[in-house]
Amino acid sequence: MIKNLKPLLIAILMLPMLHAGFSIAAETGSALKNDNLRAEPYTDAKVAGSFTRGESLEILKKQGAWLQVKTKKNTGWVRMLSVKRGTATTSNKTSGALALASGRAGTGQVVSTTGVRGLSEQDLKAAKFNETEIKTLESYTLSAEQGRQFANAGKLKTIAFANLKAGKGDSK
Amino acid sequence: MRTLVKNKQSNLAHKNLLTASLLAGLLSALSLPSMAFDFKDALKDAVQKEIGQKAEPITPAETPNSNASAVDAATKNNTTTSAEATQPAFNWKNPSKDEEIALGREIAGNLLGAAPLVKDAALQKYVNSVGRWVASQSERPDLPWRFGVIESDDLNAFAAPGGYIMLTKGLYRQLTNEAQLAGVLGHEIAHIVKKHQLKLLQKQQLLNAGAGFLSGKYAKDNDLISKAIGSGAEISARSLDKSAEYEADRLGLSYATRAGYEPYGLPDVLQALGHSSKNDDSVALLFKTHPHPDDRLSALGNAVGSRLDNIKDGKTLENRFYQLKN
Repeated sequence: MIKNLKPLLIAILMLPMLHAGFSIAAETGSALKNDNLRAEPYTDAKVAGSFTRGESLEILKKQGAWLQVKTKKNTGWVRMLSVKRGTATTSNKTSGALALASGRAGTGQVVSTTGVRGLSEQDLKAAKFNETEIKTLESYTLSAEQGRQFANAGKLKTIAFANLKAGKGDSK
Repeated sequence: MRTLVKNKQSNLAHKNLLTASLLAGLLSALSLPSMAFDFKDALKDAVQKEIGQKAEPITPAETPNSNASAVDAATKNNTTTSAEATQPAFNWKNPSKDEEIALGREIAGNLLGAAPLVKDAALQKYVNSVGRWVASQSERPDLPWRFGVIESDDLNAFAAPGGYIMLTKGLYRQLTNEAQLAGVLGHEIAHIVKKHQLKLLQKQQLLNAGAGFLSGKYAKDNDLISKAIGSGAEISARSLDKSAEYEADRLGLSYATRAGYEPYGLPDVLQALGHSSKNDDSVALLFKTHPHPDDRLSALGNAVGSRLDNIKDGKTLENRFYQLKN
């Protein structure tokens, strides 16, 4: 009996691995604040539940500024910035974390850890002015026009967007 | 010499300010004898007011010509840090744009003494291109903006007054697209636009001057840049107010969005930083000097609200994102 179950069990265990290659399925996250779930990815969509700060969520889908998430009780849409993506890690390396955050995990980005060079408070305190380096830095200075050309090359188009102001209850 | 006159004027101004605040302090102490009077706080308030009122109007003459002369002056006067005697006097009460740039140059030069530029001209050129474009969307497009990636595996970025911005190779390595780089640079650009570090130094200088005045030991060389910024690049390890960091996040996102980038570049980076452990040496300084990334994300989320709901065509440009050689 147990013998017969084994292959099945292996197959079941491998399913999520196969799946991971195709989407960001089963990505987890946690709520950064208390917020409502919406039935659709719009501000005025019907409330489909709520969650509290720190609650863990399963991230199902991303659409524009919204994430579809599953809480213990409900499924619904929430703004991306209400959710901390990924599970908290206790590892001492951030390697690949950004790939995870941007939904591009598993791109095989290798992080070199050899020749680690920190920049501690002590290092900064002991630093001596370096004229050669500052001159080199200044030699890279570009004009506004050169910036514009670079933007054009990437088909970047400016849009009207007023500076964000502090949210209610937040310090300015 | 113009600088000498300026120096005298600023000394006078300091004294006037101090006399005024001293008088105000004495008066309030007299009228409220039962209340404990903290002179230092009164002085701090007076200083805050001074800076708030006087530093705000952004220099009227932001022309390319004045940039060039600032760099010239700085180059001539700051061949070495030990050449304090040849440094120009600094008007701490109301520094000019040129003075701001000269100050930033000193700070940036010290930082580069701790961690030199990555020797990859193509990388530096790329970062300057992105940074220059984002800075053009800020309130101070006319500063001589310059950007550099420095040799360090730490995760951090620095801004010095007048348009000097540096980020570590460790942080760059974490990025996966141009929108994220634009977000990070936008945050640093905002610090310079809002003169966060400059104001911190001004406050401290005016307080020092106040203490010196009280003890009768106010030395002329207190006006020198090198005295103000302390030893090495120590100033770059100092924290700004938390509110300054939140403000820089909001403005950084705003600049990058205006520049045509996908707005979630900076939040992406904050997401990633939130995953690193507090015990990780590579983020020790960043975590010490900034609010936790989770709090920054949360504050940014509150500020954003529904503002990004209809922004659809922002670009991430991972295709042209410059890959580090090592």
